[in-house]
Amino acid sequence: MKNKARGWQVITEWLAAHDRQPFVFQEEAWEHYIQGRSGLVNAPTGYGKTFSLFLGSVIDWINQHPKDYKQKTKNGLQMLWITPLRALAKDIARAMIEVLEELDMPWQVGIRSGDTPVSTRQQQKKQMPEILIITPESLHLLLGQKDYPKVFTTLTTVVADEWHELLGSKRGVMVELGLSRLRGLAKGRAPLRVWGISATIGNLDEALDVLLGKPDPTAVIVRARLDKQIELQSILPDEIEKYPWAGHLGTKLLPKALPIILNSKTTLIFTNVRSQTEIWYHEILRQCPELAGAIALHHGSIDMELRVWVEDALHEGILKAVVCTSSLDLGVDFRPVDTVIQVGSPKGVARFLQRAGRSGHQPGAVSKIWFLPTHSLELVEAAALKAAMKEQLVESRMPVLLAFDVLIQYLMTLGISDGFHGAEIWEEITGTFCFRDMTEEEWQWTLSFLTTGGEALYSYDEFKKLEREDDFYICRSRQLALRHRLHIGTIVSDAMLKVKFISGGFIGVIEEGFIARLQPGDAFSLAGHTLEFVMIKDMTALVRKSKAKRAIIPSWMGGRLPLSANLGSVLRRTFSEAMSGNTTEPELKILQPLFNLQENLSHVPKDDELLVEKINTQDGFHLFVYPFEGRLVHEVMATLLAYRISKRQPITFSIAMNDYGFELLSDQEIPVTDEDVHELFSLENLSTDLQTSVNATEMARRKFRDIAVIAGLIFQGYPGKHKANRHLQSSASLLFNVFRDYDPQNLLLRQAFSEAFFYQMEEARLRESLERIYNNKIIITEPAQLTPFCFPIKVDSLRESLTSEKLADRIKKMRPQF
Amino acid sequence: MEDVIYNFQEQTWHLSAHRAIFWQEEQALIVSDLHLGKSTHFRKAGIPVPANIGQDDLYRLQLLITAYNPVQVIIVGDMFHSSENNDVPYFKLWRQQFAHISFKLVKGNHDILGAHLYEAMNVEVYDTLSIRAIHFVHEPCDSSDGYTFSGHLHPGIAVAGAGRQRLRLPCFYFGRNCSILPAFGMFTGLAMLEPEEDEAVFVIAENTVLKVN
Repeated sequence: MKNKARGWQVITEWLAAHDRQPFVFQEEAWEHYIQGRSGLVNAPTGYGKTFSLFLGSVIDWINQHPKDYKQKTKNGLQMLWITPLRALAKDIARAMIEVLEELDMPWQVGIRSGDTPVSTRQQQKKQMPEILIITPESLHLLLGQKDYPKVFTTLTTVVADEWHELLGSKRGVMVELGLSRLRGLAKGRAPLRVWGISATIGNLDEALDVLLGKPDPTAVIVRARLDKQIELQSILPDEIEKYPWAGHLGTKLLPKALPIILNSKTTLIFTNVRSQTEIWYHEILRQCPELAGAIALHHGSIDMELRVWVEDALHEGILKAVVCTSSLDLGVDFRPVDTVIQVGSPKGVARFLQRAGRSGHQPGAVSKIWFLPTHSLELVEAAALKAAMKEQLVESRMPVLLAFDVLIQYLMTLGISDGFHGAEIWEEITGTFCFRDMTEEEWQWTLSFLTTGGEALYSYDEFKKLEREDDFYICRSRQLALRHRLHIGTIVSDAMLKVKFISGGFIGVIEEGFIARLQPGDAFSLAGHTLEFVMIKDMTALVRKSKAKRAIIPSWMGGRLPLSANLGSVLRRTFSEAMSGNTTEPELKILQPLFNLQENLSHVPKDDELLVEKINTQDGFHLFVYPFEGRLVHEVMATLLAYRISKRQPITFSIAMNDYGFELLSDQEIPVTDEDVHELFSLENLSTDLQTSVNATEMARRKFRDIAVIAGLIFQGYPGKHKANRHLQSSASLLFNVFRDYDPQNLLLRQAFSEAFFYQMEEARLRESLERIYNNKIIITEPAQLTPFCFPIKVDSLRESLTSEKLADRIKKMRPQF
Repeated sequence: MEDVIYNFQEQTWHLSAHRAIFWQEEQALIVSDLHLGKSTHFRKAGIPVPANIGQDDLYRLQLLITAYNPVQVIIVGDMFHSSENNDVPYFKLWRQQFAHISFKLVKGNHDILGAHLYEAMNVEVYDTLSIRAIHFVHEPCDSSDGYTFSGHLHPGIAVAGAGRQRLRLPCFYFGRNCSILPAFGMFTGLAMLEPEEDEAVFVIAENTVLKVN
């Protein structure tokens, strides 16, 4: 049947006219699409995943209107295309418009994101384009408009692009909630088709389940089965003995990377944190001034306009290199890019594959990626990545569950548009993956949080937000509605301040905590500028250009991803392989002197061994442990160990960790011996020990920051109208204290704790690794000096503490510190 | 009630872990930055913070008054957080049980209620207040004569020890010319201070007051 339909014919003819043939998976997707099914397309970037669904909708439309599809205009919204990044929207729209023009189809393609001008929005309100490309936040803003259901009366399909990226984040929850409403609106019509597009992840089936909400036996996963060839090559230092043991910059190897950049058309240089991009950008310009104007910076804190410019310039091939973070991870198809350099560990296999895929976009082309280590041991990771890629060990993305903060924001959104009926929304929400296990009690709490502020009504209370009329909830305050509208979209939070020139001109955003440490006159670096901090005014950091030679590079904490479990396990294997002496990997061969030194001073652990090093320095007594499980698991494991040791005698530890291991540091000797070390890793009493040892409160406090912003507890002020609202400002940390002391049953507070246990402590993974270690051989060495393994941990400054001493006793031992 | 006695400026100061000072010679209870009505102010604007924080703060003040039995309460500014709300009548009621004690408010930047309201609450309002060469001014400043008690900052201090431990705690600060009181209200944050070597600092750690500098 497929070739007989008119639409199919039109499309295959159009492709043939361009000497192109549809991929098998595209045809497969079109077929399912025409049948009205929902599903998930799994395809790498650069292989026409957009066309697998977009052309499906075109075929379907032509099939239904074979005679007049070239004339029919103003058809109303047919397809919503949800994309995680505003930058992607332009790209996709461009590709769609091109096709529609060539097919002579008068469909409109619109974009709706934070950057869409008001005039366009109003135009869209009058007449929606047939295809609307939208971010999750803007979708919610649409749901926050009066009479919003009218917009969606003709909608047949929703596509969630880059679904693997949204899944596992609260923006994914926004999509789930948006979908639940759209499905509710489509009741009585043909059911909505819902499709996802995802790169390969470990849990594709689950990714589909999340998208569907309720099980749909007809839904399908269409796999492209196109293996992209990826070649990894490391940039090796000439003398490994002189390459630093610790560090995270990697600029020492820049001279070796420059020829690669100069010999390529366009190079993307991926770093792990935003501060690193700034440093690399400056360093490239310093060492190669002729690149001025031909290189650019791209990260999440840079002004949108500048980012769009960089992306356009990448398309046009006028840039020689762009230094970027994960902000360019996603599927933008920059054809001129032929080289990718990864600086430092990518921390996970999936991320690495995605970045490698940024080059060599032509189907069949080999994607080449250079790995540039920031310290010597990181070279082991290059070898581990090769093995993991060979074995296709790709990580899973865990979907977010019971995100009450997002739910509260969503209900308020419905409240400011047309209001909502409790029973109807309850049914829709419990049909999502995120909220399917929500209890009736939790739902009632959520509603009362929005209507009475979570307190039983009493005479003194003046709480105002949603008003309740039987089972109908609505916001009648225009001021609150305006504030909420400005607030949607601040889901990626961290307390960020805008940075502006004192003479005017927006540069980007920066973490409040960083600015707070600056004194007026200090120089810092942002978006490639060296800036002098002048003052903070109205939630904006005012700066002027600086000529200072040395500038402080801001650190953005958010960027530090932990090593994935997959990569960790391959890494352990790689270390034992390295010591076997018969490796062929160049990365491991060059590291041989370092391994030898480690072996001489201490030991290189084999696959079934855990290494523990006891070292004394002038800082105190150190205990280093190397489970290779990633920073988050190490943080918890370290605290657990510290707690179990501190039960033996009153002792205070400070704790440091990196992705390979952790350190306990104390001012007294740490009582651990070959005989009693095993029981420190025992699973016995794990739950109780964890509860008492881990600073769950501090972890939850950190998690609460995002939650408070998303749920609308942090008042961010109206643009240009700050003074009158100063009395409404508070910090998330203060709110956390207040809830903990006065309202411990608050669901948002509980969410903070469960997020801490699930994401921060990775409890499941911790159990697995403890079990593994308990059954391993534990080797304790007492090196006379710091070893290559422990050095990177020792210089890491992320520290926690654990104590079994009384607070007052501790303070007596302490000194004020400034 | 646990407190620490500090002799300074030839006077006797009881530093209470409840974030207040009792001035023995003047029989005065000194507090600063109560920010009463703050949670109500937030709730009125649709931010659902717990409602009873202000009442809890007043309950602590009540405990302090009962314990020290002062003749006067000096508030070094920021008594109410913002414009009038339902915490004002609540305070009025609460105030009646201590009708015999005078309440003296040294105006802070948050004290924006109308004069008639303070009058109705039986609170005397001052721009600055001086008793025995001690000046009370809301915002810390170095005056050339005498010594100043102030608030405004919500002072806190970071203490560190071996093994790179770090804690942030509210504190009483006694500088060369000026002392800063901790914020009394529990719905307040901390601003970190960096005292000089010769300045006294007392931190509040749970229920105890400890000298750290």
